[in-house]
Amino acid sequence: MTQTTQRHENEILAEARKAYAEFGIELAEAATYGVYMRLRCARCGATVGSMGDRVLPGLVPALLADNFDLYAAGLLGCRCGYQAERARALDPARAQKANAGA
Amino acid sequence: MSIITEAAEFDYGKTPRGGGLWPFWRKSYADADPLPELKCEVSRPDHEFDDGDELPDEYRLLLGKMLRHEGERAGNKSFLGLMGVCAEIAEVFIPAEYRLVKAEYIAEELKHAIMFHRIAVGFQTDFALQDVPYAHYAFHLPRESWADDALFHFFVDLNGAFHARDWRESSYVPLRKIAHTIERDELGHSEMGYFFLGEILGTARGRRLVQALLPKWYAAALDMFGRSDSPNTPKFIQWGLKAISNAEIRAAYKEYVDRKLGALGLDLPDERHGRRFL
Repeated sequence: MTQTTQRHENEILAEARKAYAEFGIELAEAATYGVYMRLRCARCGATVGSMGDRVLPGLVPALLADNFDLYAAGLLGCRCGYQAERARALDPARAQKANAGA
Repeated sequence: MSIITEAAEFDYGKTPRGGGLWPFWRKSYADADPLPELKCEVSRPDHEFDDGDELPDEYRLLLGKMLRHEGERAGNKSFLGLMGVCAEIAEVFIPAEYRLVKAEYIAEELKHAIMFHRIAVGFQTDFALQDVPYAHYAFHLPRESWADDALFHFFVDLNGAFHARDWRESSYVPLRKIAHTIERDELGHSEMGYFFLGEILGTARGRRLVQALLPKWYAAALDMFGRSDSPNTPKFIQWGLKAISNAEIRAAYKEYVDRKLGALGLDLPDERHGRRFL
């Protein structure tokens, strides 16, 4: 891997880590050889998914913005409810609307 | 369809696999080819190269590109990692009654890893040991639900089935020999995802989730066929490594998935929404 590619990937992962943190999700340890990483609930540590390190720049923040209603309605996120709580804290009105449609 | 059933390399045995659901391809191939014919319509030379043959430089380069995209190799640690992720996702998201189905999927992908390892060794011994993480972002998208996982398999494994369908006429004999098996298996993996989607859509919450996640996977799936104006495509076709262009195979794929998604009562996303490689 070239240094440029490495830096590019690190920037993408930093961006993903920041976007997930908003919803109370940690980009945790690499599950496999540094390519795929577990997503963990920042409150209880439960695994809530996985992702690879070759997503495109800007993609994860855009996906998470699209997923707001799903987190708010508890369709995505941990059983402990932390992501739904985070969605309510981020945008109460939108979260309430998302739950009305649940 | 005898050519498909004859491609079976081992007996599935008497014990029902995956709760009797496996292999999913059997039903799909019962009456006819489920995938469209991908016929080359342009005039081109008649090439054929086998394992051990001296390959022309450009042919070797293009075949190498193709094999790098096809990551299912025993020597590819990243692929083995992806399989580990699939096993973990099964534990976290998939209902207990379907975990054996997912185990059959992993077993079959590991069979492919043996097959492609042998091709890789025949192509270039040092390549067989290279770790080549999947370059396409579709393999790296977050999977945060059973619906994500079902959509991943429906779309991404189907991409593999279409490419393997294209290899039926490949000028590279080793690829041609495994084409039927890979196509059949990957189609079955896609049908596994489709079956899971049907189960998830059984509840209103499941339907809402699938419909909301569909644009993410739909865009990535269409992007997987590469740019329509890729300068390498005519070279692949002339050397007999592909039969049709990226745009043509994407269009055939889109027609297939649109029909399947429509049958589930899902609204189709705008085909240009979220696309990165047109």
